[in-house]
Amino acid sequence: MALLELKNISKIYGELKALDNVSLHVDKGEWVAIMGPSGSGKSTMMNIIGCMDKPTKGEVLLDGEDISRLPGKRLTDIRRDKIGLIFQQFHMVTYLTAVENVMVSQYYHSMPDEAEALEALGRVGLRERAKHLPSQLSGGEQQRVCVARALINHPELILADEPTGNLDEANENIVLDLFRQLHREGTTLIVVTHDPEVAEAAQRTIVLEHGRVAREVVNEHFVE
Amino acid sequence: MTKRRMFLRMVTASLLRRRSRMLIALLSIGIGATILAGMVTIYYDVPRQMRAQMRSYGANMLLMPAEGETFDSERLSAALQKLPADALVGASPYRYVRLDMTSRQQSFTTAGTDFEEVQKTSPYFSVEGRYPEAPREVLVGKAIAETIGVKEGSDMELTWQPAAKDASGSAEDDRVPGAALSGSAKGFGDAMVYVTATLDDQARIAEIQIDASTQTPEYGGRTAEDALFLKQFIGKALPLEMGNDVDALSGATVTSNAVVEALNTATAADAAKPRTTRYKVTGILVTGGEEEGYVFMSTDDLQALTGEDRLDVAELSISADEEQLNAYAAALTGDGVQARLVKRVTKSETAVLGKLQALVFLVTVVVLILTMICVSTTMMAVVSERRREIGLRKALGASDNSIRGEFLGEGMFLGLLGGVLGAVLGFVFAQVVSVNVFNSSITFQPLLLPATVLVSMLIAAASCLMPIRRAVAIDPAIVLKGE
Ligand SMILES: Nc1ncnc2c1ncn2[C@@H]1O[C@H](COP(=O)(O)OP(=O)(O)OP(=O)(O)O)[C@@H](O)[C@H]1O
Ligand SMILES: [Mg+2]
Repeated sequence: MALLELKNISKIYGELKALDNVSLHVDKGEWVAIMGPSGSGKSTMMNIIGCMDKPTKGEVLLDGEDISRLPGKRLTDIRRDKIGLIFQQFHMVTYLTAVENVMVSQYYHSMPDEAEALEALGRVGLRERAKHLPSQLSGGEQQRVCVARALINHPELILADEPTGNLDEANENIVLDLFRQLHREGTTLIVVTHDPEVAEAAQRTIVLEHGRVAREVVNEHFVE
Repeated sequence: MTKRRMFLRMVTASLLRRRSRMLIALLSIGIGATILAGMVTIYYDVPRQMRAQMRSYGANMLLMPAEGETFDSERLSAALQKLPADALVGASPYRYVRLDMTSRQQSFTTAGTDFEEVQKTSPYFSVEGRYPEAPREVLVGKAIAETIGVKEGSDMELTWQPAAKDASGSAEDDRVPGAALSGSAKGFGDAMVYVTATLDDQARIAEIQIDASTQTPEYGGRTAEDALFLKQFIGKALPLEMGNDVDALSGATVTSNAVVEALNTATAADAAKPRTTRYKVTGILVTGGEEEGYVFMSTDDLQALTGEDRLDVAELSISADEEQLNAYAAALTGDGVQARLVKRVTKSETAVLGKLQALVFLVTVVVLILTMICVSTTMMAVVSERRREIGLRKALGASDNSIRGEFLGEGMFLGLLGGVLGAVLGFVFAQVVSVNVFNSSITFQPLLLPATVLVSMLIAAASCLMPIRRAVAIDPAIVLKGE
């Protein structure tokens, strides 16, 4: 069953077609990687899926609902309720501790719950560093806090834009392991990456070029 | 944990962990609040302060006898009882008479007053020398001092001429039972000897008093004191014959003769005789006004000279605004007394105070506007500094209202802190101004604290409006943009 369906979407900035007539179908529980050279429109696509931008043309169906024409306020609601975001720059609120950063996500979603937030940090192996400020955490640790924050509200869909772009091998593996766990739990994952290794962890890879889907590769070595 | 607690945790963390930037905003609110609280305190305290100061411009109320009434020290003190003690700065009684300075053939308006009170009601009087303190000391106006050439330390003799009554009755007609007679005659060296006598119910002398102060003390002067000499007059009917009815005091024949002649010519009409007293000039009064043409002596001295306890006017200096003064004037009027405001003084006082308050008000408004601009600019910088964080919050699902609430919360929290800081510092500021400028301290108004805090919070909130609009407009997509 389709969780997400892009139907012929285009995003046009003046002359530039950042996305050009892209269609995509992602099932519930599927793990999809998106690759492509710089400027091919990966982030543009993620913005549209993540309800942070609207396509110039085409339809975006999320859970069967067309979100491409919704007003901003409704988009915020959907993003909050259904989507967990992970970014390449580990965006944390600089003056809040790790656990508080996780709780911010709870705060906007429903109710802050420190115990639950600590548990989520435990899942990413950062239970002990809960009271540390971002400046006291390494890049890999910050990204793990962001993963904890993305999964704290149990979103149906996790969008990750270059989640391992700034990480070393060890941290990359920790994050990939977390993705595997989430996948096993039934969370739908869409991961933008330049790293073939990260892409290979997914079930399927979409390659974008000049705003178009150039090809689609199914990962035969995928292990559940 | 509730949402509210998380909200407070985020707001306080933002302020406490991002100190440097917030300190600037806090400082500007704090300074604004300080000046606000200080100015408001001064605004309300200035009239009180200034009024006391302005009392140096002279009396602002006059007390006079009502039509057909007489005014005296008793009526004055009775009237003053009606004023609150702390409002009355001073009350100077005045009695004006003309006294002659026979030696110079001049006469001057002389004011009998209370010098201690004069220094309170007319602090601008300047005395070269000192104010009189002992009896028979006078202050001479500069104009007089120049014309007659007296200086500090000079002596001057002043004579009081009682108003001449109609001398219709002759000496004989006035010798009725119970009459009080007085007369004068030339004694030794053509100097006047004064005699007063009262008659009993048979028109015989019951009492006699001789003023021979102009005579040689060891000779004629003794007539006034010699008991035997005085005793021989008692019980005698007028006119008297020297050598027959009475004998002259030995060594004072001329004076004794003058006494008899004075008695024989004494009339009731001449009940009060001119009196002369020698005074010591303790200072020259310089005012630049008409007071320089007067001689000033104490009420007691003038009363001793004229024998009358009478006042013409009392000058009052009262610390109150015009409205209150009018109320006091109304309260004082009555019981033979009428009160009037010195319009020139009250009006200019009111005008000066009004201008001063307007100035303080203007400064306060300007400071508030500057504070708002400063806080607004700081918050604007805070918003652009935190663009990514705001974008992140939005990406995490923050609604526009959440963003508004968080910034407003931070602003109000700053306003609260700045307001408390400002109320305390503002009071200190007002106190310092008050002590240095007005030489008096002020009392802390308890209402000042909540009022200042409230205004600071409102100003902080108002200053956040523009920055919040900026914050709300931030696109959450920026978090995905690589930097
Ligand atoms: N707001 C915008 N206005 C104009 N052009 C834009 C805007 N956002 C993106 N673009 C353009 O759209 C194109 C696609 O951008 P996008 O950020 O999606 O690339 P990307 O595939 O994520 O690249 P990278 O791998 O470098 O992150 C680029 O050429 C970019 O310059
Ligand atoms: Mg990108």
